[in-house]
Amino acid sequence: MTTKAPKRRGLTEGQAAVVLLLPFLTVYAAFLIYPFFRGIWISLHDWNLLAVAFNPDAREFVGLENYVRTLWGRNIEWSSFTSPVIQTVGVLGAGLAFWAWRRGRMSKATALAIGLVGLVFFIMPGFHPGEDGRWYDRRFWPTVGNTIIFVAWAVPGVTVTALILAAALDGDTRAKSILRTLFFLSQVLSVTVVTLIWQIMFSPRQGLIANVTEALGGTPIVWLTDEQFAMAAIVIATIWWSLGIAMILFLAGIQDISKDIYEAASIDGATGLKAFWCITLPNLKRTITVVIVLQIILHFQVFGQAHLMTQGGPNDSTQVLVRYIYQTAFRDSELGEASAMAVFLFVIMGAFSIIQFVVGRETD
Amino acid sequence: MVNRSYYWLILALSIPAFLWLIPTIWMISLSFQPNDVLARTTSSTFFGLIPLPFTAENYAALFSFGQTPRWFLNSAIVAGGMTLGVLFVSTTAGYALARLTFPFKTPILLLCLIGLMVPEQAVFIPLYTMFADLGWHNSYHALILPRMAVPIGVFLMMQFFKAIPKDIEEAARIDGVGWLQIFWYVMLPLARPAMMTLAILTFLYAWNDYLWPLVSAREPERFTITLGLASIQSNFAQSEGLGRVMASGVIASLPVVALFLMFQRYVVQAMTAGGSKG
Repeated sequence: MTTKAPKRRGLTEGQAAVVLLLPFLTVYAAFLIYPFFRGIWISLHDWNLLAVAFNPDAREFVGLENYVRTLWGRNIEWSSFTSPVIQTVGVLGAGLAFWAWRRGRMSKATALAIGLVGLVFFIMPGFHPGEDGRWYDRRFWPTVGNTIIFVAWAVPGVTVTALILAAALDGDTRAKSILRTLFFLSQVLSVTVVTLIWQIMFSPRQGLIANVTEALGGTPIVWLTDEQFAMAAIVIATIWWSLGIAMILFLAGIQDISKDIYEAASIDGATGLKAFWCITLPNLKRTITVVIVLQIILHFQVFGQAHLMTQGGPNDSTQVLVRYIYQTAFRDSELGEASAMAVFLFVIMGAFSIIQFVVGRETD
Repeated sequence: MVNRSYYWLILALSIPAFLWLIPTIWMISLSFQPNDVLARTTSSTFFGLIPLPFTAENYAALFSFGQTPRWFLNSAIVAGGMTLGVLFVSTTAGYALARLTFPFKTPILLLCLIGLMVPEQAVFIPLYTMFADLGWHNSYHALILPRMAVPIGVFLMMQFFKAIPKDIEEAARIDGVGWLQIFWYVMLPLARPAMMTLAILTFLYAWNDYLWPLVSAREPERFTITLGLASIQSNFAQSEGLGRVMASGVIASLPVVALFLMFQRYVVQAMTAGGSKG
């Protein structure tokens, strides 16, 4: 290395900071901050993609109309009995979080987060069109519902599987390290490879699952075109694909638990499953929360699986929010409405990001 | 440690591990079987998990015609360009935020933190109109630039620079070395492990990214391999032949799998850092 003779350069610390920060701040302002505000601006317009492309003046300021058109309807009423099951779950969840916090079994931030989500589950499904009423956009809320169903299956599926595997595969032996790699490997594949594999795996005529079912004497399930099974198929593919990160995070969490605790416990006769239940799980509480929130953020934005495996079908049963935004924008050319939905998505993601931020920095 | 129950555990775990691998093995196996056989049955030998009858024709066909080599090249350019770009803006900004004092530092830091909350899906529509106005779609820089604006790399580098002891820098300052020289000659060589981690993570992301290329690259010769694969899988059985589509899938996965196997340690580190602190 030919370093020049050390001589104090003219740049002050402040000037150096400007030079070093400029490249990032330029792209950041141009391709993240500006688009973000422009997105909100578009959402306030009646903005047809094709019309505006030909004539930039073809957009029209409509205020919040796009939000009303997607989120609201005519004669919308609220009652606590519209979807009794979900609303009860919401109330119970909020109550349970409050109870756990009062008893000191849950940190304030976690309890608050669960409590708020519970309240949302109590309040949101309560809205329904009254007499002569209807939603302005019939597909929007069912789409949000599908996304939540997907998250509600994929997140626990990934979390539980990853937790069990991490507990079993913790350790420095060669065999365990190879097994860890095998379980992680599918994580690095792209979504299109994953959907390519699973589309054919699930195929009723050519699929491996169908072939094995037939060999065992059963009737193959028509996974991807059956309303009952399409979502399950997507969830299975997703769990297979995205188990790796959760497993790695759990492994890191387990390694942070002091080995002394396990040794002390083994003297008292707590090994294997009992040690997992009494030591590993309680000590992993924070990691589990982090992984769950991270997964919710990740899976709420599901797109490729639904877009490529089922095209949102059959009968819209796997239509998810990001795919609906994509279609509204690029198939129906309704950029204004699509942007309003994107802002809605951002608000939800933002709420979970704040929860993640708070939980991640919490010390217990 | 090494006792009977340990071997039982490994044996018990090998079964789910094998099941976990079956979809991948099946893809590889199908890619080595002749298309005319696959048109009739996909379970020739042991449910098709063993490639018999065997052929390498699908791979040969892939490289002699079709657009897979072109898509592969596009992916390499986009992923390589994005990696270099992200490394450049993240190391410079990360160092400044970690070590230099300057006016408006806290607001800038806060601004970057807020950017972490904005998902790609919330800005892809305005980005599309912006790039359309500029006439930038169907180009490499259209695929590269938006990811360079994501501040996660800046935070990764900032955390790393913060952990380096200050005395190295101070010694250089006393010798009269300028800030940019310190950054370039002293700090960057020290930051190599963190840069490696960031590079691998960015490359994996770029190679596998789907939504933005789907929106921005509309001409088939501008597709990345991930996008190209999506475009041929919807009609896999009829037009191309199942074996060839599977061969494309294998080719598309080779670089990322190889990269992961070679640098597993860095990938694991990156995910742990990003997961618990990001």
